[in-house]
Order: sequence, then C-alpha cells, then structure tokens
Amino acid sequence: MKENRNEYFEKYNNRTHLLGRVFTVIVLVLLVGAPFLIGAVLGASPDLGAVGRGFLSVGLIWTISSVVEFLIYTPMLGAGGSYLAFITGNLINMKIPCAVNARDMAGVKTGTPENEIVSTLSIATSSLVTIVVLALGVLLLQPLKGFLQSPALQPAFSNVVPALFGAMAYKYFRGNMKIAIAPLLLMSILFMLVPSLTGSTSMMIIPSGALAIGISYLIYRKQK
Amino acid sequence: MSVIATLNSLPLYLICGAIIAFVAVICLVFMVRAYRAGVKMGMDEKVLKRVMTSSATFSVLPAVGILLGVIALSGSLGLPWPWLRLSVIGALHYEAQVAQGAAEHAGIGGLSPESMTVSAFTTIALLMSICIMWGMVLSVLFNRGYLKKIGIKNPEETALNKKSGFGDMAMSAMFIGLVSAYIGSYIGSFVSSEGLFTFKGDFLPLIVVLVSGLVMAIFVYLSEKKKKAWVDNFSVAASMLVGMTAAVLINLL
Repeated sequence: MKENRNEYFEKYNNRTHLLGRVFTVIVLVLLVGAPFLIGAVLGASPDLGAVGRGFLSVGLIWTISSVVEFLIYTPMLGAGGSYLAFITGNLINMKIPCAVNARDMAGVKTGTPENEIVSTLSIATSSLVTIVVLALGVLLLQPLKGFLQSPALQPAFSNVVPALFGAMAYKYFRGNMKIAIAPLLLMSILFMLVPSLTGSTSMMIIPSGALAIGISYLIYRKQK
Repeated sequence: MSVIATLNSLPLYLICGAIIAFVAVICLVFMVRAYRAGVKMGMDEKVLKRVMTSSATFSVLPAVGILLGVIALSGSLGLPWPWLRLSVIGALHYEAQVAQGAAEHAGIGGLSPESMTVSAFTTIALLMSICIMWGMVLSVLFNRGYLKKIGIKNPEETALNKKSGFGDMAMSAMFIGLVSAYIGSYIGSFVSSEGLFTFKGDFLPLIVVLVSGLVMAIFVYLSEKKKKAWVDNFSVAASMLVGMTAAVLINLL
C-alpha cells in the first residue's frame, strides 16, 4: 500500500513538472506575443529599442526580485503551487499568505507530499477566485466604478497589505516571539534611520528572513 | 476614435480574455489533479474541501483590491490590458511602477491618457511583460532541480504525524521575516518619512496592522478556547475587512 502510494505520488509529481513546464512556456509565449498581436491589429508595433532601454533601467531590479522570489517561494509552495503562483502572480499580497494559511489549517508540513497537494489546491483556488472577481469586476465596472473609486473607500484599498500582514503577524508572532523580535526590531530601526528604503521593502525581506531563519536554527539546535 | 477608446475595443478584450481563460483552465487542471491525488493518497476529503473554502474566502478581499489596481491603470492603458496583467503574473505593486517607467522610455513622458499613443501602448505592454516574466522562466528551467536539491522528501519519510525537521521551521521563520520587513517599513515610514524621528508620517497602515491583528486574536481565541474551529475559514479575510474598515473610519475623523 505504502509502495503504491509512493509510486503514485512520484508519478503525480513528475506529471506536475511536465504540465507546469508546458503550461508556463505557453503562457510566456502568449504574454510576450500579445503586445505584438495587439500591435498588428492596431497597426503599431512595439518600439524594441525603447523596450531594451526601459528594461535596462526599470527591468533589472525586477529581474533580481524575481530570482529572490523564485528561491524563497518555490520551497514554500512546492512544485504545482509554485508553477501556478509564478503564472498567476500576486505572490506576496495573496498567494503566499493564502498557501501558508491553508498549510496551517490542514496541519501539513512544508516539503511533504501532503503540503504539495494542499499548496496546489490553495493557489489554484485563490487564482480562480481572483480571475472570477476581476472578470466580474470588469464586466460590472461601470456601475461599480463610482462605488469603488469613491474617495471614502480609498483608504481601505490602500491598506489591503497592512491588513493582511496584521492578521498574519498575530498568527505567526504569538508562538514565535523569540524568532520575531530581532527581525522586527532590526527592520523598524533600519526603516526609521533610512526611510527611503520603504521603496525597496521587498528586497529587505532577504536580510530580515535570513535573520529569522538564523535565530530559528539556533533554537532548533538547542531543542535537539 | 480616441486612443483610450481604441485600447478598450473588442479585439483587445478578445485577446486578453482568451489568455485569461487559458490560465483559468490551467488552474482548474491543477486543482482537479491535486484534489484527486489527495484523495488517492488517503487525505481527508473534508480537509481538502476546507482548504479550498478557506483559500477562496481568503482571496476575495485581496482580489477586490487588485480590481482597484485594474481600475486605476485603466485610465491610461484602457481596461483589457490591466485586466490581463493583474489576472495573470502581475502584482499590484509592480504594474504601476513599470508602466510609468515604460511610458517614460516610450517617449510619452509618463502614464497619461492625453499623451498615450498606440505605439507607446504596445511598447509599454511588451516591457511590462518582459520585466516580470523571470519567475516563470526560472520555474521552467530550475523548479524541478531546485526542489530536488533542497529535498522534497519521500512520502514514507514525511507522513502527517511525523515530527517535522528544520525545513518547516525555516519556512515559518522566512514568513516571520517577510512580515517583520513590512511592519518595520510601516513603523519607519510613520516615524521618519517626513524627516528623521519627526513622527509625522502616515500612521494609517500601523493602525490597520494593529486592528486586524487584534481581530485575528479574537478569532484565535474563539477557535482555540471556545472550540469554534469553523471561524478559521474566515478569520484572515474578516480580520482584514475590519482592519480596512478601520482605515476608512479613521480617515473620516
């Protein structure tokens, strides 16, 4: 039975990688091809020189950020989850917390086959909900536009990420204050002393995460 | 026809809508495969359904936030392209920044409906796609090898009841680091964004963090002390909603 289960999971995982790669390549071709297709339809092709210059100035930082995101989030999400998450985007503000929340609720551990299943289910569901909400929103945009763009509601939508991190912080910090206190203090002091860093917060995840992992490793070694 | 009307025309809706529909099919394929695999591997179907319910409720509010990003960009890029960008691969914080930078390099100075041309639009659209595609490229090239190297374990080593190793602890720590960086940025922004230690910056994100954290504490109390586990399905989304409502109310004061 266990052998069957192992074999089954291995086959499932191999197929996930195959499907993930094929689908990702197709989506890549569609995304890069779409501006050319639109250009052909509208009679104005992209200016490749401007694209090259633009990439050198605004694109490189996002390329580095993509490498960091790939290295950090792929192990968190597993194979199926990470293929989907990189196709559908919105990682930090939606997919990662969503998958972590689902993992905790299901009581599974990172790196296990169960986490692979839960993470894939969670990100697929989250992506579909986003697609449906956006499609409905675009469809109903005219009547919704006034309501959603009303100035009174703007502070709510400008604070989606703080609202998310407040809720997640309570969940994660309360049982792990020994791990959380140092990165939280360090980041607060750093941002107070160099406020311009707020424009590169996603890059500051690296030292903050490294410090948290370092402390958790010391605690892990002590417990062993 | 104005440029924005051209960018809102039927062919663009068809092109963008078709790509989004294809991505929706990919999500459905992965979802059905994962569900079936979970059942075959002996996972509790109730847990699998709860994962889906919780993930769906969790995603509604951020998705509405993303929709606002679509609306914000639609003024200068039309509706179909931002709809595609934020449904597939994009990220709220990324799109506006890159679109603005791309518009400068496309020779129209910046994102604005008045200066937009069709040629500038296709240039901006291509640069937006190229700048953010690297996560997908890395996934195609290295996902399998990377996961293998860091050790996706064999099923027999990782049964649900087996004590976890450092990997699980490290991932939680990484998430703590991520949350710390963002909360640190809100604190730093409040304290020093208008001059070092002037305490005149935007305090709203900090209030929202505190309110949503407090509401989450109530949900955890209900779940753990009062044994109402069902609230877990809505705890994050509801905490966010209350936190965001607090932002609206404080702004009205």
